[in-house]
Amino acid sequence: MALTTRPAKSTRNRTLADRAPAVRKAMLPYGLLLPALIALAFALGYPLIRQVMLSFQEFGLAQQFGRPPEWVGLQNYRDLVSDSYLWVLVLRSVVFCLVNAGLTMVLGVAIALLMRLMSTPVRLVVQAGLLIAWAMPVLASLTVWTWLFDTQYGVVNWILERLGGDFAGHSWLIEPMSFFLIATLLVVWMSIPFVAFTVYAALTQVPQEILEAAEVDGAGPWQRTRLVVLPSIRPVLLVVGLLELVWGLRVFTQIYVLQQAGGVTRETNLLGTYVYRSGIGEGEFGVAATVAMFMLALTVLLTAPYVIKMIRDDREMA
Amino acid sequence: MRVKKTLGLALAAALVLSACSDDGDDNSDGGGGPDTADIRVWINGPDTPQAARDWLKTEFEDANPGSTLTIEEQEWEGLVERLTTALSSDDETPDVVEVGNTQSSTFTTAGAFSDLSDEVGDLGGDDLLQGFVEAGSYDGSTYAVPYYAGSKYVFYRKDLFEKSGLEVPTTLDEFVDAAITLKEDNPDPANFSGFWFPGQDWRNGVSFVWDAGGDLAVEEGDEWQGTLSSPESVAGLETVKTLMDQASGAAKDGNEADAQVPFCNNEIGMMSVPGWMTGLIDNADTGCPDMMKNVGVFPLPGSDGSPAPVLLGGSNIAVSANSPNQDLAKDAVALMLSDEFQTILAENGLTPAKTSLAPLLGEDEFAQATIAAATDARLTPPAAKWASVEGARILEDLFVAIANGGDLAELAAEADEAITDQLN
Amino acid sequence: MNSGRRLRTRTRVLANSLGLVVFLICGFPVYWMISTSFQSRNEIRSPEPTWHPFGGGLDNYRRLFEDGEFLDALKISLLVTIATVAIALLFAFLAAVAVSRFRFRGRTSFILLMLVVQMIPAEGLFISQYKMLDGLSLTNSVLGLTTLYVACVLPFTIWTLRGFVSALPVDLEEAAMVDGCTRVGAFFRITFPLLAPGLVATGVFGFIQAWNEFTLALVVMTRDDKKTLPVWLSTFSDANRGTDWGAVMAGSTLISIPVILFFLMVQGRMVSGLTVGAVKG
Repeated sequence: MALTTRPAKSTRNRTLADRAPAVRKAMLPYGLLLPALIALAFALGYPLIRQVMLSFQEFGLAQQFGRPPEWVGLQNYRDLVSDSYLWVLVLRSVVFCLVNAGLTMVLGVAIALLMRLMSTPVRLVVQAGLLIAWAMPVLASLTVWTWLFDTQYGVVNWILERLGGDFAGHSWLIEPMSFFLIATLLVVWMSIPFVAFTVYAALTQVPQEILEAAEVDGAGPWQRTRLVVLPSIRPVLLVVGLLELVWGLRVFTQIYVLQQAGGVTRETNLLGTYVYRSGIGEGEFGVAATVAMFMLALTVLLTAPYVIKMIRDDREMA
Repeated sequence: MRVKKTLGLALAAALVLSACSDDGDDNSDGGGGPDTADIRVWINGPDTPQAARDWLKTEFEDANPGSTLTIEEQEWEGLVERLTTALSSDDETPDVVEVGNTQSSTFTTAGAFSDLSDEVGDLGGDDLLQGFVEAGSYDGSTYAVPYYAGSKYVFYRKDLFEKSGLEVPTTLDEFVDAAITLKEDNPDPANFSGFWFPGQDWRNGVSFVWDAGGDLAVEEGDEWQGTLSSPESVAGLETVKTLMDQASGAAKDGNEADAQVPFCNNEIGMMSVPGWMTGLIDNADTGCPDMMKNVGVFPLPGSDGSPAPVLLGGSNIAVSANSPNQDLAKDAVALMLSDEFQTILAENGLTPAKTSLAPLLGEDEFAQATIAAATDARLTPPAAKWASVEGARILEDLFVAIANGGDLAELAAEADEAITDQLN
Repeated sequence: MNSGRRLRTRTRVLANSLGLVVFLICGFPVYWMISTSFQSRNEIRSPEPTWHPFGGGLDNYRRLFEDGEFLDALKISLLVTIATVAIALLFAFLAAVAVSRFRFRGRTSFILLMLVVQMIPAEGLFISQYKMLDGLSLTNSVLGLTTLYVACVLPFTIWTLRGFVSALPVDLEEAAMVDGCTRVGAFFRITFPLLAPGLVATGVFGFIQAWNEFTLALVVMTRDDKKTLPVWLSTFSDANRGTDWGAVMAGSTLISIPVILFFLMVQGRMVSGLTVGAVKG
């Protein structure tokens, strides 16, 4: 969006005054950015820089209380990368992230499409349900979910028993695959509302005329959806999908709480819990910082194609 | 007009006076801090009885006129985060903190606390629970002193014992037999436990390892070694496996919280839990008061007939190294370890920090079991980085693996490797 | 035409039924939370699930108010959250305008920076953030905590608002300027009202983030009278004595209410808001 010129005024010979507004105009965007930049620099700038520095130091709890830290250069990184457990975690986390993001997007979009077809009262009910699921405090929802799947007293086992299955005392968390199944259920349940709402809102903007034109042209409902509707909301899908990927790789709380409830910790760790356990769990802040940097690099790599697409779209728009 | 002027003068005078008295704090007494100050004491959870808190405040303020003592109650959840940040701040640091014994080692070795070695003698010396003193010591100096210990003993169903013709076991073997018998005699419900032993419950499991002569980790020279794969430890783990396989119906990957739930549902014959479980069972909202008449307790018996070593909960207290009020803080600590204060704790069911005061716990079954259990109480290894072993949940994973069947020697060796890794 | 209408009705019925299934799945845990908040502790964890929601009493709620801290915590949470949302929206709006209406050096870098910042795991940052606040004596202050929260929320807010602002046609502003408005005037008279829905959408997201945040609130607000609601709620989970589940669920229900109220108030705006600009980009 190029700077628009001011409406033409009568020509005057006050060159200095003319230049001043122009300079002011050029400074305007920076001025507008300033409050945000200051807030970010203040509250995030120093901690982030410190985080980067910490990743090059041997910094434990003792250093927090005054002992001078040791600069170890890339040693933390070398130790991290040579630990085979880390790569197991990377694989697990990436797969988990992709599965979750994929499921969330597919289900979220499906629900959004469905909402278009519902009668209004039902749609409002569904929106209310999504809202409430989104608003519920995470501690409460996680606790309820772990209870539902509790080995001894869970409602799910209770129902399955009544239905004839052999689920008394069945542990849903002891097998890693089953553990991640439950974890996926939780993460997707918590993430769908955001996707559903955003995509639904985008869908209501698709002009009716285009749809009707496609119908006249003989396109069936599924074809209309696939070839007309979805492409027209592509920018939204990209934005939301990107966020789901970024957040999916950082998943922590759900895994951490489930690990307290059961299962084998080592088999169910993801990068998110690993950062936490290396950091606070051990008081090894240098190592935690290194893992955080690593995760950043990984996320950038994972989302690079998306981001490039977005930048390109953005350049075209402007 | 005159009223306002008078008020104004009074206000100004008050301000001037308070400013002056502030300056008075500067008189130095060798760096021990100002003569008067507001001391902040961090106590965790509801365990410390109100009577003790009131006594502390009153006594301190009487002995130190001009100073006040404020108790700020903290939660165990998030405590480590709070301590990590607050203790390192000159302005925000509390003066005295209560820490769990695992955290004692961590923060002691990190240098967060002041050296109390000179005061330990006055505070109780050898009378103090030695395991706790060790947890708060580093390099020959003591930085955190015991505050109180928890209690842990076996709760059992007197009626089920009678039905199976069992007597209170006096040796570990009898105990294991009793557990297996109970399970066999009570096939309904299917998840009945002769001895309730959830998979993650290493805190009970470690008793059997200790009883057999083994340990979790041992310091050799400068390094710590995991010792779960020593023959003694493995023997202890065998007992664990026997109990889990033949006597327990608890979830094989479950945790040990909320034991009163299965107990009140007739799913438990015996369980080894902290003493405050009595309160939970005896409460209509949380438990089943009707069952109290069938509840008996005894300390977990060891192989040799004396009580088995149990992992005691409990806390230490310490003075923050960054606190500007060192002398006053140490006074507060002294008060908290005084006989009077500790007596109040004992009367409320907490094992006092001084072993000589243990008889004050009482005479009933519960008190006797507490005293007996405390005689051979032990703590987790006082290694600087033990907290990271717990953070990585190595022991939980080991015991869950044992509960699910697996080669003991192999599992123990793996756990040892992980522990050694974490501790060094 | 008849078959078309029948098809549409059948589709509608199908969509409605699936919708109700979605509602049940989304709503069930919430129902469970509310139901549990009325039960006594030995009903909550028992082999036979207690289905009836309101059979129990208000004991749990009574316990919540016993120590009298709820109202204080509510006040602090409201102060911090509303301040965070207001400030973040203002700053983000200005930044979004700058980024989508002007061309300047560093524009793309700034956008990328906003995205990258969201990729960094935040779990380790609280120690440095605390140290910073401590150095400025801003611990235990609403101002200090709000500053940290604003920074947490800004990247997402700027990122999202940017899309909304750039979708609004410039012609509207230019028309206004031809009519004699200054550029700034045009913004506030034309663009800003059209953006209200977008601001509401990002405001809601920011509200939830700030309202439910725990770790920073835990370490920054250590005095009893400065607790936020999530920290207050954690006082009912005692790792040593076992958690008072009834109180935790009751507390969670209470904590959810302001968020849901806020939602319901702005819900209509939010739906139309997320669309404007989202489609275009």
